[in-house]
Amino acid sequence: MRLGIVLGHVTLSPAVPELLGKTLVVLEPVTMKNLVAKNGLGGGKSLVAVDALGAAKGQMVAFTEGTEAANPYWPNRVPVDAYCTLIVDSITTGNPQNQEAEVAK
Amino acid sequence: MFLARIDGTVVPAAKHDTLEGCRFLVAQRLEADGSTGPEPLVLIDWMGAANGSTVLVSTDGDIARERYGNTTPARMVVAGIVDQVQIPQHNAGRSA
Repeated sequence: MRLGIVLGHVTLSPAVPELLGKTLVVLEPVTMKNLVAKNGLGGGKSLVAVDALGAAKGQMVAFTEGTEAANPYWPNRVPVDAYCTLIVDSITTGNPQNQEAEVAK
Repeated sequence: MFLARIDGTVVPAAKHDTLEGCRFLVAQRLEADGSTGPEPLVLIDWMGAANGSTVLVSTDGDIARERYGNTTPARMVVAGIVDQVQIPQHNAGRSA
């Protein structure tokens, strides 16, 4: 999984039936530089993912890419290749004593 | 599969239902020359990898599906903790 910042949401009209009712978010992947800087920025090339957890704009999520992203809809087949697996509360990197990265909620 | 260095831990505020109780680690992918990838990765770990250790990451979701069920979106898991890496042509035998 990569980390991403939620930039906004996408709605479709029309859409293939498999995507109806699913929430789509625009994510910007977080680079190591921005994660360590704790600046709430992404820095990567943005993408669209399905979000069933209710992530809000500005929140950091971890997203799965590839065919595994469609697993939550198994045994249905859906055209999903990125899926928000978790919403980040906090991340500790490097020396745990002095680097508690509190992510904007 | 590839090698990665464990760099920290993730505390989730919410997660997919199948991943209750999972341990999530932040890792950086390692290249053969010892450099790291630009973006951090979040791994699922049940091996007990320590901060700073080198691990083998599998990007195949089958092992996660076996453990967490068919509907789990889990993909990158810690498949092993590296004892030693030897790349003779680079003249750099590194230990974890």
